[in-house]
Amino acid sequence: MNKRLASSDRAPTDWKAEAMQKRIRRRYAAERRFKLMGLAAVVLSAAFLAFLLATMAANGARGFMRTEVALEFDFPALALPVDRAQLSTPGADLALAGAELENVVKGAASAAYPGPVPLISDNGWLTVRDAIKADPGILGRKERIWIPASPEIQLALRGEGDPAVVTGASKLEGLGAIRTGFNRDFLTASNSTDPMVAGIWGALKGSLLTMAITFLIAFPVGVLSAIYLEEYATRNRWTDLIEVSINNLAAVPSIIFGLLGLAVFLGTWEMFGHQFGPLLPRSAAVVGGLTLALMIMPVIVIASRNAIKAVPPSIRDAALGIGASRVQVVFHHVLPLAMPGILTGTIIGMARALGETAPLLLIGMRAFVVQPPQGFTDPATVLPVQIFLWSDEVSRVFVEKTSAAIIVLLVFLLAMNGLAIYLRNRFETRW
Amino acid sequence: MSPFALLFLIAGLGLIAWLTARARAMRFDRGGAKRLHSLPSQHGWYVAMWTVLPALLFLAVWGSVSPGLVREAVMQHPAAKQLPAFDFEREALLGEASRIAHTPGAKAFDPLAEQLAEPTRAAEKRYGWTGTAAAILLAFAGGAFAFTRIRAGFRARSRVERAVMLILLVASLIAILTTLGIFLSLLWESLRFFGQVSVFDFLFGTHWSPQVIDPADPGASLGAVPLFWGTFFIGAVIAMIVAIPFGLMSAIYLTQYAAPRVRRWMKPILEILAGVPTVVYGYFAALTVAPAVRDLAVSLGMTYASSESALAAGLVMGVMIIPFVSSMADDSIAAVPAAMRDGSLAMGATTSETIRRVLLPAALPGVVAGVLLAVSRAIGETMIVVMAASGAATITLNPFESATTVTKQIVDLLTGEAEFDSPKTLAAFALGLTLFVVTLLLNIVALAVVKRYREAYE
Repeated sequence: MNKRLASSDRAPTDWKAEAMQKRIRRRYAAERRFKLMGLAAVVLSAAFLAFLLATMAANGARGFMRTEVALEFDFPALALPVDRAQLSTPGADLALAGAELENVVKGAASAAYPGPVPLISDNGWLTVRDAIKADPGILGRKERIWIPASPEIQLALRGEGDPAVVTGASKLEGLGAIRTGFNRDFLTASNSTDPMVAGIWGALKGSLLTMAITFLIAFPVGVLSAIYLEEYATRNRWTDLIEVSINNLAAVPSIIFGLLGLAVFLGTWEMFGHQFGPLLPRSAAVVGGLTLALMIMPVIVIASRNAIKAVPPSIRDAALGIGASRVQVVFHHVLPLAMPGILTGTIIGMARALGETAPLLLIGMRAFVVQPPQGFTDPATVLPVQIFLWSDEVSRVFVEKTSAAIIVLLVFLLAMNGLAIYLRNRFETRW
Repeated sequence: MSPFALLFLIAGLGLIAWLTARARAMRFDRGGAKRLHSLPSQHGWYVAMWTVLPALLFLAVWGSVSPGLVREAVMQHPAAKQLPAFDFEREALLGEASRIAHTPGAKAFDPLAEQLAEPTRAAEKRYGWTGTAAAILLAFAGGAFAFTRIRAGFRARSRVERAVMLILLVASLIAILTTLGIFLSLLWESLRFFGQVSVFDFLFGTHWSPQVIDPADPGASLGAVPLFWGTFFIGAVIAMIVAIPFGLMSAIYLTQYAAPRVRRWMKPILEILAGVPTVVYGYFAALTVAPAVRDLAVSLGMTYASSESALAAGLVMGVMIIPFVSSMADDSIAAVPAAMRDGSLAMGATTSETIRRVLLPAALPGVVAGVLLAVSRAIGETMIVVMAASGAATITLNPFESATTVTKQIVDLLTGEAEFDSPKTLAAFALGLTLFVVTLLLNIVALAVVKRYREAYE
């Protein structure tokens, strides 16, 4: 009783008093500050992403464009020592190179523009060669051919570089002998030392071949082991070990998989395999695909297990109840229902593999590959590695190409992630 | 026959086996007590498995044996007598011979290789056809054997299901094999390295310059402490200074303050940050961030400012890690029982007071575990540091100076010349082993923390 009295002795807090009002204002101000900090963190992160993408887009948009110059060739007057019958044979390249076509084209270019920099790019004469091969008839007439300009001319057209070159380029533009348009070679050609004719098709094809190997190995193995662990495995030391190793593999840095690929696929092969037969080229798509498959397998296993776990037990019970075997329960009922989730996880894993660079650098997929790979054992490179290789180049034109290649890579990744989100939304079932 | 065509053929045979066996099972005499034990399709699977699996198994074995047989046959050729006894040259010659045998019109540098090309081609062709014929024969034999066994009472289903279980088990063992493979291959190469360089020199030496290795004392220039420091400085200090506040605050904002619509849009947008390939970040760091950081350093009055500063790589790495920290923080805040939050709000605390005094302390173990995992990510990250950090190994506290990391050095050491036995390349494996062990420990500690903390509220 006394105690209660004692506590009621104290006057009730006067919330209207100045001190209390100040305290509440201070607390609310702190609240607003805290909320603003949170908002700032979100906005700044998003702004960084926007800045990154905008930088790439601004640089990359130019990488898709190419400047070309028109050169007039009076083929009858030039009298190239080429036999026309040869032009439809596989020896055509050799015959035209033997006819000094390169010097003829370069001579014509320096006659048209006697400036301090070359007018056409190093490999520009190949355009003329291909034009002659496509239509040998032009050897009998005058022909105007569009040839890739040199990097200096391309930059000068935008007003960059030596002022003398800039005025020369704008004079050519006035004559209508120069144009800038979409560079189809960029999507159809392979790597080259000449930035004007270098393209990403070789790297893209290498990526596709590598991804095919990765998918063919990682998907079945990942899904099957997820089924085993989720549906059949009894908990014992072995399954615990499997689980621990899968979870750890998912967190192992990607470069370690590169070391594994180097030591096992190439090192062991060189040590023991050489007594058996020819060596695999260090940069074959099959080696890269195997390495990446080991890397993304845990991702697929974990996603598949979650998808299988999400299928309600009542479905299993019902199937077992009408006499299905445990294998039938899984393969006829659980797996089809879990498939959208499994595919979503697989696509996300594949997207990760597509963007991965470090392990492929280590196993040697950084080769300079001029021909698109024809098969899984040909030397190949992949898109991210191509980006890395180009980023080392000094030429401004290569800088733009790097960004353009990044745009292509991001478009692929976006498409894959979009597909994953679509699959999830379209087929996801809430039980 | 090319391997793919052969695989196709065997798969086709399997399909035919499946169809015929199923058709046969459908016509079994079911009169009287003799009921079919298994479904017709299960009989089909049984025969198909017997057709395909032995043939594939044989091909796998043959694929590893037949190159040896080819080699044997080539060695029988008279021209092989002139082969140099020295291992390396002989390998080069035989490799060239086989290359010529495969590519029509190729020319050899060495006439001997050209002489050997023809026997190589002949032997490969002979053994190729032998293997093909044997595989097809085996497929037919297996199929026929299984086909004779099926009848109405045959337990095809239990046999097929046992085989399926075996396949599942083998698939799940691949994870263990991979872990084991990583560990053993790293350990094996590291042991070779430590045979030449003492462990003490490597782990505690402070001088790293693999470009010039004194063959008498390789350990003197392979001290990895500067790399460990650089890795720690870039990945665990600078990157975390960016990632922890941003990740934590955006998780708090999105879970506690943002309207559901904002959350639905902003969360995937932030997750795009994690989906951008690291090579793109690396390019961005080298092209845009590093020059900006150098300019900042110059304007701050630093006379020597590196364009490969630790700060540039660390900043970009931190941004990359933001969504990772954010989603870990999100999970652990969501795991705090709602009663604690409601109780605090009911007592009159503001939302921010509830978050700071109740939610965060309760979620702290989860957040710490998330940060540990983020650190393990950051120190294993390669492309950003390869493209934006420097190769010079220095120990410095100044973020504007250059620093190098373990991953960057691994790439640098292994993309040089291809000598597989030098201490220089083997050092990369020792660095890899260190990285593997450290990230493994970080993960184990983080998972243990999460597990203990989850139990506290259940």
